[in-house]
Amino acid sequence: MNKKLLLGLFLVFGLIAGQSYASEPDSDAFDQTRENSVLESYNRAMFGFNNYFYHYLLMPVARGYRYVTTPSVRRSVRNSLDNIREPISTGNFLLQGNLKESGITLARFAINSTLGLFGLFDVAEGWGLKKKTTGFDETFAKWCIPDGPYLVLPFIGSATPRSTVGMGLGFVFDPVYWGTRHDANVSDKATYAYAALQAITIMEANMDFLNDLERNSVDYYTAVRSAYLQNRKNMGCRSSEDVVNATASYDFDFDIE
Amino acid sequence: MNKFLLSLVAALSCVWALGAQAAVDAAKAEAFVKGVTEDGIENIINANIPQAEKDKRFAKLFNSALDIQFIGQFVLGRYWRTATAEQRQEFIDAYRELNVQTWSKRFDEFKGRNFIFKGTDASNSANQIFVNSTVPMEQGEPAKVVWRVKQIGNEFKIVDIIIENVSLAITARNEYTAFIKQSPDGVAGLIKNLQEKTKAVDKKVS
Repeated sequence: MNKKLLLGLFLVFGLIAGQSYASEPDSDAFDQTRENSVLESYNRAMFGFNNYFYHYLLMPVARGYRYVTTPSVRRSVRNSLDNIREPISTGNFLLQGNLKESGITLARFAINSTLGLFGLFDVAEGWGLKKKTTGFDETFAKWCIPDGPYLVLPFIGSATPRSTVGMGLGFVFDPVYWGTRHDANVSDKATYAYAALQAITIMEANMDFLNDLERNSVDYYTAVRSAYLQNRKNMGCRSSEDVVNATASYDFDFDIE
Repeated sequence: MNKFLLSLVAALSCVWALGAQAAVDAAKAEAFVKGVTEDGIENIINANIPQAEKDKRFAKLFNSALDIQFIGQFVLGRYWRTATAEQRQEFIDAYRELNVQTWSKRFDEFKGRNFIFKGTDASNSANQIFVNSTVPMEQGEPAKVVWRVKQIGNEFKIVDIIIENVSLAITARNEYTAFIKQSPDGVAGLIKNLQEKTKAVDKKVS
């Protein structure tokens, strides 16, 4: 063990100790949020609003969509929506220095857009080119840009400052947006229809799980926030392959005092 | 600090790390989790038996495979210490009931799927180890499922399930401690709420 490494370790532990000293006296070691009370009351209010919107508008529409479509139709819709965004993954894998995945997504886009009839069928998957998506948010994570506190955005839901910036860039670079941007009239309609279709398909895929979680939660907001933030640790600020189990970072505390 | 001290610290920490790992038998821990999942898939999900019998078998498997006492204690966090003995027992029972009901209802979604085991990772917690697995999905990347397993003598128990990096125990702990903090009745309020949730699920089933 060299001295630099040891110094590094001391610094890291110093930082951790400093953080736990700085946090509220009654905070929990597993509470991964640094949400202050003002932000939390805004978040809870917006969360309530979104939940109302989901239950009374988005979920009924998603149920209607489920009713009139078969699983294979829904899969094709999902395939083509994903296919449209495949170039964003290509660019971001490149930004992350992952040439292999960047090439795979590019090949997938070429194959599925042509042989897969505009992405309706995932032909490339059958050829061993497995779907793997990424975006600006994950690129920022790989660059070790901090995530910031938990935020609830209107209609969209769970987010953080970093994910919001990533989402904004993803929107600007979305082929549907830049493909139609020369004509404001077409662009508006295409973008709204596209966003609505995405919202409906995402809700259709997740509503059973969300309803179940809500039914079994004593504090639905905290359950969603906790799961969302833990899941984001998957992105990690490390190389792409080694993040097997980020929960192990909680390990030291997983003993009962 | 001189070089001798540095190497002593390094050596001691290595020994300590080895000691922590050696306490759990990795191969046996993996075999244990594998056995639990196979039992669940063969004898419950794929079995041709009425739902009531499935629920019964699931409750049995759940209680034998998971150390719900340990999980419950972890989930309650610092409120475990302030809870009375009676409250502790009530909480464990309510938490167990709600989990058994929730999971046995969701179990069928697992039909046609299986776990692929991917070895283990050491844990820094005493007598614990992570068993890694993936579940192939219809499309795209497989889902990652990691099992936190605790060894007690020759016996193994699951103490947490981490799905796509989301730990069920940590999520519950965050949720329950947030609830208790806001509830005027504290732990008693949480227990009451959990019991009501179990009854509500009961009604839906029957």
